[in-house]
Amino acid sequence: MNKRWLELSVGAMMVAGIAALVALALQVSGGSMRNVGHYPVSALFENAAGLGPKAKVTMAGVTIGEVVAVGIDPDTLMAEVRMQIYGQINYLSIDSSASILTAGLLGEKYVGITAGAEDDLLGAGDVIEDTQSALILEELIGQFLINLGDK
Amino acid sequence: MLRFVVDCIANLGAVLLHKLVQMGQALLMLLQATTVQPKASSLTRLIQQLYVVGVQSLIIILVSALFIGMVLGLQGFTLLSAYGSEQAVGQMVALTLVRELAPVVAALLFAGRAGSALTAEIGLMKATEQLASLEMFGIDPLHRIVAPRFWAGIISLPLLVAIFSLVGIYGGHLVAVEWLGVYSGSYWGNMQQAVDFNEDVLNGMLKALVFAFLISWIALYQGYSCLPTSQGISAATTRTVVYSSLAILGFDFILTALMFGGAV
Amino acid sequence: MHTDGIINLQNVSFYRGGRAIFEDLNCAIAAGKITAIMGPSGTGKTTLLRLISGQLQPHKGQVFLFDQDMAKIKQKQLNQLRKRMGVLFQSGALFTDLSVFENVAFPLREHMNLSADDLYNRVLTQLEAVGLRGVKDFMPSQLSGGMARRVALARAVAMGPEVILYDEPFAGQDPIAMAVLQRLIKSLNDQLQLTSVLVSHDVAEAFAIADHVILLGEGRVLAQDHPDALKTSTDPAVKQFIHGEADGVIPFHYPAPALQDELRGPS
Repeated sequence: MNKRWLELSVGAMMVAGIAALVALALQVSGGSMRNVGHYPVSALFENAAGLGPKAKVTMAGVTIGEVVAVGIDPDTLMAEVRMQIYGQINYLSIDSSASILTAGLLGEKYVGITAGAEDDLLGAGDVIEDTQSALILEELIGQFLINLGDK
Repeated sequence: MLRFVVDCIANLGAVLLHKLVQMGQALLMLLQATTVQPKASSLTRLIQQLYVVGVQSLIIILVSALFIGMVLGLQGFTLLSAYGSEQAVGQMVALTLVRELAPVVAALLFAGRAGSALTAEIGLMKATEQLASLEMFGIDPLHRIVAPRFWAGIISLPLLVAIFSLVGIYGGHLVAVEWLGVYSGSYWGNMQQAVDFNEDVLNGMLKALVFAFLISWIALYQGYSCLPTSQGISAATTRTVVYSSLAILGFDFILTALMFGGAV
Repeated sequence: MHTDGIINLQNVSFYRGGRAIFEDLNCAIAAGKITAIMGPSGTGKTTLLRLISGQLQPHKGQVFLFDQDMAKIKQKQLNQLRKRMGVLFQSGALFTDLSVFENVAFPLREHMNLSADDLYNRVLTQLEAVGLRGVKDFMPSQLSGGMARRVALARAVAMGPEVILYDEPFAGQDPIAMAVLQRLIKSLNDQLQLTSVLVSHDVAEAFAIADHVILLGEGRVLAQDHPDALKTSTDPAVKQFIHGEADGVIPFHYPAPALQDELRGPS
C-alpha cells in the first residue's frame, strides 16, 4: 500500500464527509437553525384545545417560535401556553395578540401572533393579554343548530 | 422439581454475573486504551486505520445510500400522489434519511463491514501471539492496536452517515424529480422548510456518534477477548455483528424517543 | 532465598480451571547457559515461560527475574525488564502487516533512537546472522514456517537482550530447519553471552545443545541435570520420557473408571 495514496484517500474521505455535512446544512435544511437564542413568553387562553408542545408560533405566516408547554394557570383556571420566541424577533409590541389557529380544516393547531401598536416591546417572561381561543368545530356546529332551531 | 427451579435460578445468576464481569472487563479495556497520551507516530497509525475502517467502507455506503434514496423517492411518490401531495416527497425522503435511515443503515453496514473485520483482525493477532509479542517489546497492545482502531471508528462513521444522507437525498431527487416529474423547486423547497439543522441533522449525527462508539467498542472487545482458536475467532466475529446490530436498533429507539419523542 | 540464577522460581503454584498446573515448583536458571525445560505435552511448559516473562502471575510463590520480584514491580519497570529479555514465540508472531525488514526494525524503532543508516545496517546485520538478508522485503505471509521463526529470532535478539526465551522452537519443523535453528540458538548463545531458556519436547534436539535440562511432570520438577547425566539416569519417569516409551510412570491411559464399569453390558 502506497503511503501517499493512503493519506490521500483518507483525506478525501474526511473532506467528503465534512462537505456532505455542509451540504446538509445549506441545501437540505436551508440553513435554518431555529434554536439560536430565544426568550420565553406566555399567554392565557379560554381554551387551548389540541395545542401541544413543539407547535409553531407564527406571525404573518412566518414561524417565529414554538410552544414549550401547555398547562392550567391555577389562579385563573385558564389554559396557560408557554412559548419561546426566537431571539432575533425582538420587535413585538406589548399589546400583541395571540390566537390559536388551525392549518386547514383538520390540520395541526398553531399559535398566531398579531402585532399591536404600542411602543413598549414584549420582553422575556411577559404575558400576552389579548388572546383568542381555538375554534372548536363541535361548538360551532352546535351554535349553528341552535340558530337553525330559532328560525 | 424444586431442585430444578433452584438450579435454573442459580444458572441465571451465574450467567448474569458472567455478563457483568465481561462488561466490566470491556469498560476497563476501553478506559485503558483511550486514556493515553498520543505520540507523533499515533497519527500515522490513525490514518492507516481510517483507511481500513472508513475509506474501505465507502463503496458499500455509497451504493446502499443511492438505492435507499431511490426507493424512498419511488415509494414516497406513489404514496403521496394518492393524496395529491407528491411535492412533499422531498421532505419525506430527507427526514426519513437524516433522522433514521442514514444513521441506522450506515451503522448496520459498518458493523458488518468494518466491525467484523476488526474483531477478526485482533482475534488473529491474539491467536498468532502478535499481541503477546508486542507486550514483550514493552508495548501495551491496548494503546498500540486497540486505541487507533477505536478512534478511527468514532471518526469514520459520522462522516459516512453524512455522506449517506446526502447521497440518499440525491437518489430520491433522481427518481422523484428526474424520472417522475416532481418540480425540482418543491422537492428542495419543502425539504428546506421541513428539515431543521440542529434538530434533525445534528441529532442524526449524534446518533451516528453513539453507534460508532457502540460498534467499535463491541468489535474491539470481542476481538481482544476471544478464544485464540479458529472457532473462537469465528464465534467472536459473529457475536460482533449480532451484538452490534441489536445495540444499534435498541439504542436507536431510545435516542429517537429522547430526541423526537416530543410531549413527555 | 534463591539467588543462584538469573531467573528464580520459588514455591510457585499456578492453577487453571481448578487443576494445578504447578504445585510448589522451585527452580533456578543459571546465567550464560542454555537451559532446556522439558516435559510431556500439557505439563505447563508454555505457562512457565509466561510466568517468567510476567504475562501471567503465579497464584502462590514468587518469580524473580534479574533479582526482581515480578509480582511487586510496576508496569513501567516490567517494560524495562522486558527490554532486557527476548522471546521467540511458537508461531514466530511476526507482525503480519509489516515486512520482514520492518519486523526486525520494530523493537529498534520503538526503544532506540537510531539514525536511518544505523537502523538499516543493524537490521541487515541481524538478518544476515540468521541467513535471511535476501528476504528483507518479503511479507511474513510469504515465508515458510522455519524462515518465519528465524526472522522472529533476528527480531528477538535485535535489542541485544540478556535472556532469551524460546517457546517450542523445533515444533513442526523439517529436519533441515531444525538443524538450522539448533545451530542458531547455540551460536547466538555463545557469541552474545546470552542466557537461553528453551521450552521443548523434542528430546534429541534439545539435549544436543542444552547445558542443563529441567524435566517437568505432574506440576513439579521431576529431575534436573546435565543432559549426559540424565541420559544415564535410572529414574523410571526420566527414562520413560527420554526414550519415548508409551507406558510407564506417566500412564498411557488418562485417569478413568475401570473399563468394565463403563462398558455397557447386555441388559
